[in-house]
Amino acid sequence: MNLPPFVLHQPLTIDEAVATFAQHPGEADWLAGGTDLLPNYKWRLNAKPHVISLHRVEGLRDLTPTHIGAMVTLRELEGSAELQARLPVIPATARQVASVLLRASGTLGGNLMLENRCFYFNQSEHWRRSWEPCMKAEGDRCHVVPQQELCYATFSSDMAGTLCALDATAQLLGPQAGREVPLQELYLFDGIRRHARTPGELLIGVRLPECAPTWRTGYRKLRLRGSWDFPELGVAISIQIVDGALSRLRIVLNALEQAPRSLDSVTKPYVGGPLSDQAIEELAAASFERARPYRNTSFPPHYRRKMVPVFVRDLLRHLRDS
Amino acid sequence: MSRHGAHHPRSVVGKRMPLVDARRKVTGSGVYTEDIYLPNMLVARILRSTQHHARIISIDTTEAIEVPGVAAVITGAEYPNKFGVIPISKDETALATEKVVYVGDVVCAIAGSDLYAVEEALAKVKVAYEPLPAYHKPEESLEEVPEKIHPLGIGKTNIHRMVDQDFGDIEQAKRSAAITARGRFTFQGVTHGFTEPHAVVARYEVDGRLTVWTATQVPHYVHRALSEVLGIQMHRIRVVKPMVGGGFGGKSDPFPHEMAAAILSMRTGRPVKLVFDREEVFLTNHGRHPTSTRMEMTASEDGKLTGLDIEALIDGGAWSSFGVISTYYNGVLSVAPYDIPNFRYKGRRVFTNKPPSGAMRGHGAVNSRFAAETLVDMIANELGIDPIQLRLRNLIPPYTDTVNHFRITSNGIAECLEVVRKASDWDSRHGNLPYGEGLGIGCGFYISGSALPIHWDPARFPQSTVHIKIDMDGGVTVHTGAAEIGQGSDTVAAQVVAEVLGLPTSMIHVKAQDTDLAPVDLGSYSSRVTFMMGNAARRAAEQVRDELTAAAARLTGYAAELFTLEDGTAHCRSRPAVQVPYMRVLHEAIADRGALVAKGCYRSPPMGGSFKGAAAGLAPAYSFSAYVAHVRVEPQSGFVHCDKVWAAHDCGKALNPLAVEGQIEGSIHMGLGQVLSEGMRYHKGQLLNPSLLDYKIPTPFEMPDVEVFIVESDDPEGPFGAKEAGEGPLLPILPAVGNAIFDAVGVRVFDLPITPDRLLKAIEEQGAADATATSSKQGSTATGRTKRGYVAGGATDEPGPALSRNQR
Amino acid sequence: MPQSQPSFPLRLNINGDEHALLIRPYATLLDVLRDQLHLTGTKRGCDLGTCGCCTVQVEGVAVLSCLTLAAQVAGRQVTTIEGMANGDGLHPVQEAFASCGGSQCGFCTPGFIMAVSAFLESCPDPTDEQVHEALGGNLCRCTGYIKIYEAVHQAAKVLREGGVRQPLDVDHRHLIGELPPATRTDPRTHDLARLQQLHPEGKG
Repeated sequence: MNLPPFVLHQPLTIDEAVATFAQHPGEADWLAGGTDLLPNYKWRLNAKPHVISLHRVEGLRDLTPTHIGAMVTLRELEGSAELQARLPVIPATARQVASVLLRASGTLGGNLMLENRCFYFNQSEHWRRSWEPCMKAEGDRCHVVPQQELCYATFSSDMAGTLCALDATAQLLGPQAGREVPLQELYLFDGIRRHARTPGELLIGVRLPECAPTWRTGYRKLRLRGSWDFPELGVAISIQIVDGALSRLRIVLNALEQAPRSLDSVTKPYVGGPLSDQAIEELAAASFERARPYRNTSFPPHYRRKMVPVFVRDLLRHLRDS
Repeated sequence: MSRHGAHHPRSVVGKRMPLVDARRKVTGSGVYTEDIYLPNMLVARILRSTQHHARIISIDTTEAIEVPGVAAVITGAEYPNKFGVIPISKDETALATEKVVYVGDVVCAIAGSDLYAVEEALAKVKVAYEPLPAYHKPEESLEEVPEKIHPLGIGKTNIHRMVDQDFGDIEQAKRSAAITARGRFTFQGVTHGFTEPHAVVARYEVDGRLTVWTATQVPHYVHRALSEVLGIQMHRIRVVKPMVGGGFGGKSDPFPHEMAAAILSMRTGRPVKLVFDREEVFLTNHGRHPTSTRMEMTASEDGKLTGLDIEALIDGGAWSSFGVISTYYNGVLSVAPYDIPNFRYKGRRVFTNKPPSGAMRGHGAVNSRFAAETLVDMIANELGIDPIQLRLRNLIPPYTDTVNHFRITSNGIAECLEVVRKASDWDSRHGNLPYGEGLGIGCGFYISGSALPIHWDPARFPQSTVHIKIDMDGGVTVHTGAAEIGQGSDTVAAQVVAEVLGLPTSMIHVKAQDTDLAPVDLGSYSSRVTFMMGNAARRAAEQVRDELTAAAARLTGYAAELFTLEDGTAHCRSRPAVQVPYMRVLHEAIADRGALVAKGCYRSPPMGGSFKGAAAGLAPAYSFSAYVAHVRVEPQSGFVHCDKVWAAHDCGKALNPLAVEGQIEGSIHMGLGQVLSEGMRYHKGQLLNPSLLDYKIPTPFEMPDVEVFIVESDDPEGPFGAKEAGEGPLLPILPAVGNAIFDAVGVRVFDLPITPDRLLKAIEEQGAADATATSSKQGSTATGRTKRGYVAGGATDEPGPALSRNQR
Repeated sequence: MPQSQPSFPLRLNINGDEHALLIRPYATLLDVLRDQLHLTGTKRGCDLGTCGCCTVQVEGVAVLSCLTLAAQVAGRQVTTIEGMANGDGLHPVQEAFASCGGSQCGFCTPGFIMAVSAFLESCPDPTDEQVHEALGGNLCRCTGYIKIYEAVHQAAKVLREGGVRQPLDVDHRHLIGELPPATRTDPRTHDLARLQQLHPEGKG
C-alpha cells in the first residue's frame, strides 16, 4: 500500500514548524511517530498535500515528572526510571498502548492527538466506495447513529485517559501565541473536529501538577488481546485520601465516546467523605449511568458499558487499598 | 519392534532436526514471490467490485489506458473460460464477465511501470452496474430467488450442494436412547491469516511459453487452471512455487489474480508482478465456512453412544471452491474416533454474496468436531460419568471400519486420552477446581490425505511421484511437486531420502518448486504430503539404494542384499569390517551408465463403500488426538484465559518430532483464535474487519503453555509408519476449551467465537436462572457457586431442552 | 492526484553500506529497502504496523519500516535482516530460531529476529513475561510462539555467554570422504585386491 503523494517538510525548530504549517492552511498535517497518521494516509483518509514532520524539531523531547514533550516516544515513557519512581501510572499506561513495536515510534503527542476511530471510517478506499461514505471521510452521514449532524467516532487514546485523570495541561503553540489549557478541555465530543485547537496550533507537550505524584492514580483498559488492540474502554482514576477522607477524586471514562469524559459531577459529592465500600458501589453504578458507548468498535456497546462499573469498582478498591 | 522391521536404529527419521530451509528463512535470503524483481517488470493491481451482486452494464477503460505509464488494461470478457479447484464445480473466470457476486470480486486489472500510475488508472475505470438483490444470509439462499448468484445453484435456489447420508437407524436410536443431547451451534467464518499476502509474477516469453511464479499450495492445480483459462496447452506453461509464507488451505485454490497476471504479461510481453494488500487477502478469503449446525447425540444409560444426527448449513460465499468436499466433511468426519452405530447427516452448502469460503486447516471437520465433543461432554455430565472415561468406552478400535465405511488402520486415540489424563492430573482436578477454573477434554480425528484425488483420473495417475538424481558429485537431488509452504515438506522429503540412503540431510537437495522439473504431486492440502509424497520419496530412494548396494556388491564380492547404507558408508551386515565409502560405491554405480535416476510414486489402495459420496473422507490413514485444556474464567468480565494445554496427537511416527511439535503448537494457536476471538464479521454483507488489527488473531499474551505428547501408532502404510500432523491437531483445542469453560463456570456457549461479551451474557443468564431454579441436578463447587449446566446461545431456541432423558 | 515535490537525494546507511538514492518524499523505509535496494529480507505483511514482518533496527531500536518514512532515517544506522549474518556466521538469534524450530514458513522470521535481537541488547536475561511483551508486535501464524520463546531464551543464553556464531557452512567431509582422484586406477580392481587380502573367503 503506497502513501499518497505529499510534500514533506522537515523543520528544525518549533517556530519553523508552526510557521510552515501556517503557510498551508487546511492543507497540512503534523507527523509525529507516524503510527496513526500513515495507516490513515495509506487508506487515503483525509490525506493532506503537506506533511510537516516533527522528527527533527528541537525541544519536543523533554521528559520530567512535571513536563513531557510531545515527541517523547511511548517506549521512552515506559522506560523512564524517574516516572516509574514518581508517576508509575504513566509508564503503566504507555505499556498498554498498541504493540511494543508501534510504541517504539509512537509518541505521547501522537497518542494524545490520535485520530478518532470507527468501523465505518478506518477502512480502505475500496471499502468506503463499497458503502455509503461516512461524514468523517467523503460522505455526509453517520452509520453508527444515523443522522447528519454529529460524528460518533471513538476517541481511542490510552494516554489521554490517564493524563486527564492527572489534571495534565496541554501546551500549545500557534502562529500567534502559545497557551496552556487543561487537557480535558482540549477534547470535543465531535468525532470530526475532535479538539479545540485553533488551526496551526501544535501540541508541544503536557505539564503535570507538581503534586500529582502524591495521588494514587491507576488505569484499566478493556481490549480483547494483550497487544495491538485499541482500548474499547479505558478507566483512569486518581484519588487522594487524607485522614480517611477523599481529598481528591477524579474518574475519567475513555474510549467510549468521541472524547474522554471526566465524571466530575458524579464524583464531587464524594470528595470529603470516606471511600467506603458503599461509596465505591455508588460510584460504579453512577459511572455506568453516564457511560455512552456506540456501536463502532469490536465489542458490542452493551458489553463495554457493562464493564464500566466492573473497572471502576476494581480500580477504586485497588487504589484505596494500595 | 517396529512394524517396519528396522534392522538398525533410524539415523535421520525420528530425530529432532531444524527444517532444511531454516537458514534461508532466518537470514531473509529465501525468495518469496514478492521478492522476485525481473528486468523490465511491470506491476499490476486489481479493480474490485464495490457491489455485492450486480450485472455489469459496461466497463469504460478508455481514460485508464491513457494514463502515462500504464501498459495494459484487461477486463473479463475476453477470457470466459471457467476454472475452479473441483472439476465438477468450476464457476470462476479470470475476471468478472457478466456479473459481480461479492464486494471484492475481480473486475479489471491494470499493469504499468509504476504503482502510482496503475492506481491512478484504476481510479479512472468507469464501471456501470445494475444492482441485483444480494443474499447474505445462508437461510435466504435455501429459497427460490428471482436471480441466482450463479448457475450452479440447484433449481431456482442458491443451494450449491446437498448431501444426505443415513447409516443404521437414527430414528430408532433416538427412540431407544436413555439420553439425548442436542444443540444448535453457530460458527463465524474464520480465515487463514497467513503472514504472506498472495503474490504472483507472470512472464510470457517470445518462445510462447508462460512462466508463473505464485504463492500457492498446489502448483499443479494452478497449472491446470491456467491452461484452461488461457487456452494454452499445459506443456507451454511452467508454474514455479517460490517460498510460501504460510497457506493453511488459503492458497490451495487457483485464483483469478494468477490468471490476470498471466494475461497482462501475454498482453504486454513483459513480466508482471501482482501483490495483494492485506484487505485483498481478507476479501479473497477461502477460509472456514460460516456455519450453523444442529446436532443430536444419543446414548444409553451406561454411556454408550448410540446415534449421531447432524444438520449443517454452511455458507459458501460467492464461489464453489472446495465446497463440494466441505459439504461432506462437515458431516462424515464427525463419527470417529467414536464407534457410533447410527449416523445421519444432512448438509447444505449455499452461495451468498460474500467473500468465498473454502478449505482451511482441518477442512470441514473443525466446527462439527466442536459440536460433537460438546455433546459428548454434556452426556457424560448428565450421566455422571467422567468425560474421559465415557470417551474411552466409546472409541473405535484400530483396524476396523466406521459406520460410514471409513477404513481405520492404526489408531492411537486410547493412548492419547490416557496420556493427557495422567499429565493433566485430570482424575483429581476435573470437576474439583474452584469456581472460575476448569479443565476440559476434546478429541480429534482427521484424514491423512484424501484417498481419492480431486481429479478423478481413469488414467490412474499417481497422487504423488518423486524423482531422484545423483551424479558424480554425490549430492542427491529430489524433485517433487509437493509444495513446501512452511509445514516442512521439503524436510520430510530430505529426511526420508537421507534415511534410506544413509546420508546427512544436508546432502539432499529438494527441488519442490517447478512444474518443468518436478513430477506431479497433488499439493499441500488435506494433510497428504507426509503420507503420499513420503511414500513416493521412499520408493524412489529405495531404487537408488538398490543400485548402490549392487555397486557395493560388485566392488566387494558380497551379495547386494547384505549391504546397508549408513553414515555415508555401505556396510556389509555379515562382515562388519567390509565397508565401502558412499562416494566409492556411487562412482561404481555411475560408471559407464551416468547419473543415477529413479522415481517412486504413490497411489492410495482402493477402499470405501459404493454409495453416493462414499469417497468423501476416505483416507489411507487417519490421525487421532486428545487435548486437555486448563482455563481461568473471569466471571465478572467473561474473559477466558487458556493457560495450559496438554496435547497428545497420534501421527503414526514422528519423522521429525521438532516439526510435529511445531504443527501441534501452531494448531493450538489457530484453534484458540477460532474458539475465543477470531471471526469474520459482516454488516449487511460488508466485511467489517478486513485487517489484522480488527481480525483478532491471538498474540503471545493469549498463548498458553503447551505440553506435547506424540503418540506413535506406527501406521502400516505410512512412510516409516508416519501419518499427518498438520491439520488434525487443530480439532481438539476448540472443544477442550469449551468444555473447560463449562468445568470452570458451568456454562456452555454454542456460538463461536466465545468472546467475553457472549460468555458474560451466558454467565449472567445462568445467574438469573439459578435465582429462580427450584432444583439443580449438578452439585455445587467448593466455593458455593453453582456450576450447573447452563447452555447459552442457539440451544435455547431448539424445540425441547438441550438435554433430555427418556422416562422408562 | 495532488502534485508533490519531486524525488530528492538521500543518503542512507543500511547495514554499514552507504547508499546514495533518489527517493520520493512519501516513500516508506520499507518501500526503499524492497523496491529500490531489493533488500527483500524485510517483508511486507500488512503495511499497517499490525504484523511486524517489516521490522528493522534504526540505531539499534526495532521499528516498523512500513510506518517509517525513508527521509526520516537519513544519516542514521539502519540494520536489516541482511545485516545480521556476517562472515563469522549466523547471529545467535538467527541460529536459535533455526535450531529451535522458531521459524516455519519463515515470512515473519526476519521481523522477529530484528525485534528480538534489539530486545536482548537491552534485556539480556529476560523473564517469560518480558519475552511475551517483546514479541507482542510480531505476528506469527505458524508456530504458536512456543518455539519462538525457546529460541529467545536460547539466544539470550548464548549471547550472555559471549555470543558464539555458528559457521554458515556445514562440513560433511568426514562423512563422505574426499572425491577420489580422477587419475586413480580402476577402483574395482584396487579394492578387490585389498579386500581379498582381508577376507580370503571373498569371491572376487
